Amino acid sequence: MDDLARARRFRPGPRLVSLLVGGAAAVLVLYPIAFLIQASLSTGDPQARPPDAYGLDNFADLPRYGHIFGNTVAVAVAATAMAIVLGFVMGWILSRTNVPGRGTLEQLMALPYYVTPLMGALAWSLIGSPSGGFLNQVWRALGGEAHLIDVTTPYGIAWVMALFEGSVAFVMIGAVMKSMDPALEEASQVLGAGRLRTMLRITLPLVMPGVLGAAIFVFAEMLGSFSAALVLGLPSRFYVVTTAMYQLVSQYPPQFPRAAAMGVSLFAVMFAMVYVYRRIVQAGSYATITGKAFRARAMDVGGLRWPLLAVCGAYLAIAVLLPIVTLAYASVQRLATAFPRADNFTLANYQTALSLDAVRTALWDSLLLGFGTASIGVLLMGFLAWMIYRSRLPGVGVIEYVLMFPQAVPRLVFAFGMLWAWLIFPIPIYGTLWLLLIAYLTVFLPLGLRTIAGVMLQIDRSLEESAQMCGASWGYRMRTVTMPLLRPGLIAAWLLLFVASVRELGASILLMGPKAKVITPTIVESWFSTSTELTAAMALLQTLAVGVALVLLFTVARRAAQHPGE
Amino acid sequence: MSAGPPPGAARTASIEIRDLVVRYGQVVAVRGVTFAVAAGEHVTLLGPSGCGKTTTLRAIAGLEQPASGEIRIDGSPVFSSSPRVQVPPERRGLSMVFQSYAIWPHMTVFDNVAYGLRVRKLTEPEIAERVGWALDLVQLGALGTRSASKLSGGQQQRVALARAFVFSPAVLLFDEPLSNLDAKLRAEMRLEIKELQRRLGITSVYVTHDLEEALAISDRIIVMRDGVIEQIGTPAEIYDLPRNTFVADFVGSANLIHGRRRPDLERDGLVALETPGGAIVHGAAHGRRVGPESLFSVRTVHVHLSRARPATPVNVWPATVRRRVFQGDLTQYHVEWDGRPLVVRQVTTDPVAEGEAVYLSVEPRHCVLLED
Repeated sequence: MDDLARARRFRPGPRLVSLLVGGAAAVLVLYPIAFLIQASLSTGDPQARPPDAYGLDNFADLPRYGHIFGNTVAVAVAATAMAIVLGFVMGWILSRTNVPGRGTLEQLMALPYYVTPLMGALAWSLIGSPSGGFLNQVWRALGGEAHLIDVTTPYGIAWVMALFEGSVAFVMIGAVMKSMDPALEEASQVLGAGRLRTMLRITLPLVMPGVLGAAIFVFAEMLGSFSAALVLGLPSRFYVVTTAMYQLVSQYPPQFPRAAAMGVSLFAVMFAMVYVYRRIVQAGSYATITGKAFRARAMDVGGLRWPLLAVCGAYLAIAVLLPIVTLAYASVQRLATAFPRADNFTLANYQTALSLDAVRTALWDSLLLGFGTASIGVLLMGFLAWMIYRSRLPGVGVIEYVLMFPQAVPRLVFAFGMLWAWLIFPIPIYGTLWLLLIAYLTVFLPLGLRTIAGVMLQIDRSLEESAQMCGASWGYRMRTVTMPLLRPGLIAAWLLLFVASVRELGASILLMGPKAKVITPTIVESWFSTSTELTAAMALLQTLAVGVALVLLFTVARRAAQHPGE
Repeated sequence: MSAGPPPGAARTASIEIRDLVVRYGQVVAVRGVTFAVAAGEHVTLLGPSGCGKTTTLRAIAGLEQPASGEIRIDGSPVFSSSPRVQVPPERRGLSMVFQSYAIWPHMTVFDNVAYGLRVRKLTEPEIAERVGWALDLVQLGALGTRSASKLSGGQQQRVALARAFVFSPAVLLFDEPLSNLDAKLRAEMRLEIKELQRRLGITSVYVTHDLEEALAISDRIIVMRDGVIEQIGTPAEIYDLPRNTFVADFVGSANLIHGRRRPDLERDGLVALETPGGAIVHGAAHGRRVGPESLFSVRTVHVHLSRARPATPVNVWPATVRRRVFQGDLTQYHVEWDGRPLVVRQVTTDPVAEGEAVYLSVEPRHCVLLED
């Protein structure tokens, strides 16, 4: 059999390629982190590259910024508490009760996520800033004193973040509630326990690990969040760690080592939290909650259905509708005010926004970058996901761990490491869109990997093995079986990466060069340096552009996703 | 099945496996397994879950990498620990039917079956001819253009089967292919697989935990437990002459009768044991070594139950019926014999009532001496 004789020669093939790509991706992640740590240990001239002296002075200095760490924790705790309550209530209503329109509502729950904290912060600043906020204007017109609400306080910032993150908490807690076998509750009721007792003694303890996991995950995200604190906190000089880092880096002279030390501390805390989160998710406490999908039995809540529906509607209205309507309202006014006046309405803001070269090129660059990041990202992350979850090559566990690092690093902190890492890189990509492309690909690795892995793990391994048994080589299998089956996951990942890239702020704001601007930081710049009304118009234009791009791509993707023979 | 001879010459190959060891981390799934499959033979690996049968099959396929040992197909090593040989699965010239069917949902039935032929770069007319032949053989001739995701379980199984043999592999591997079907369909497919295997004359290795399936379709059965082989033999040998307690118990239901040897009572080449209760049981050694303490295995259907005392000289004892369980074709009696419970299964005619005193008798050749 010459088939066998030929085969006996050693073929490095996929193994070598896998280790090279995996290794390269790991370097992409670790290289900036190494520079971040190096910078944090620099004790000589803060401008010197590489550092001329090393020590722990920067960390010893951190207690001076104690109030900033205090602010960060206070905001994160408040935001997490609100987001988890929102997520728990929504999760319970939508997965355990017979509230009308469950299916539609469940899909709409993703919307707050797409509104982004930046949009939320801009809108809520218009609604609830102490002097000019629309709501406070109305309050004073009704005879109230000073202001009704103030979103520039820590609680205001937490509120804006919680509205956004509530959608994430909902997805996580809802999934746990849905995966719980309803028989466990039914057994309790059959044995004579009432509905309340069942809820307290059975349901709650069973979903507790899931809720705890979600709380830790959300808390870690909140510790590293940036945009809401920037927009709402900066004017009143209220800093959290990320905004303080941004301030230290962008002031003159910049305080790189000190900012790096802050970043490393934040990284350490978040890393620990994400580690705990993963431990909780993997722990045996999930034994009763199997991966098997149950058609969750809806509890008949009778007349309570309508109030519960109203609760869901209210969340969506406050988190989605209100910000967009507010921004739209402000964007068509000469001077944003709560009370409409015919002579105050104008489309000039849109005209200005569209005529500004900076905005036009930034928007175009962002869409281009989004397209590039999503396309390259899907290929790269698809391959990495296959390698990690399918190939059974040695060492993939370590690579997976490293690639998930960016999850535990705020994008601003990560970008800070990249800033220095790529500054000394021999190929001059600093200040170009290429650097942003590399940054996006790195920081969105966990997002893309998780999305694709979710679909990949659902594809039975034997589908690939049977192709192998039919004699198909690795490339042929990939092309004819693995890729076509992964297509829905790849498309979902593409869309997510596209949206995330176009709206990215934390990394872009540090890495953007004067000749390579992207849209989100441009909006923030406009907020601080030009008019509120113009900024509102820009934010809506960005949303519109993303929306149009998505609709176009979705139509194309839907055609491509149709299977032959169907 | 209105199909001609297989287009293209069928080639079959022998398989030899020597000292095969497969580890998953710290767990040793297969611990030194040696057997051979002749060209054209149908061998079944039988055992409870976790016995290493699927792992052995996957090692032959190349989907698991063994820790040591050697696997030869048609005389050439496809795996060997020294010198190092590891031929990738797609180069071994084998084919496999998976437990989950592994039908690709994004392709039509035709494309699923044609896959292996396209890999081998046959021309489209050749592919059409062979796929048509294979689909006819599994009685799915009319379904070629159907999307594979819209088939019933039984139909998917047939597509998987056609896909596996259409390119005339040298060896066909089956990983519990019928375990996801309902009982009636399973019995039907069992016959079809046997028929197909005969027709094509392909060397087959078949994995199952279902005894009936193994007995029905195999030329030889290999019984495995905890990663080692317990017994190799034809279905009749495995059933009639189990080697030890495990095989006797796993392959059909058996009563185990323990006793002290009584050479003084032995005659006609039989072995005699005295049970703790004092009964004398004569059985056949089948060339196995007899110790001072030994064990007989007696199939439940080989014990005869009657109201009148049978006129045979040995192996007749009085007993009492305790429980009667109607099972349809057979009736199962739980009998008290010699101070211990015994299970007897008889064809349901003239049933004996619970509490009735009866006689039990067994032909000595059905009392099989076990090795343990």
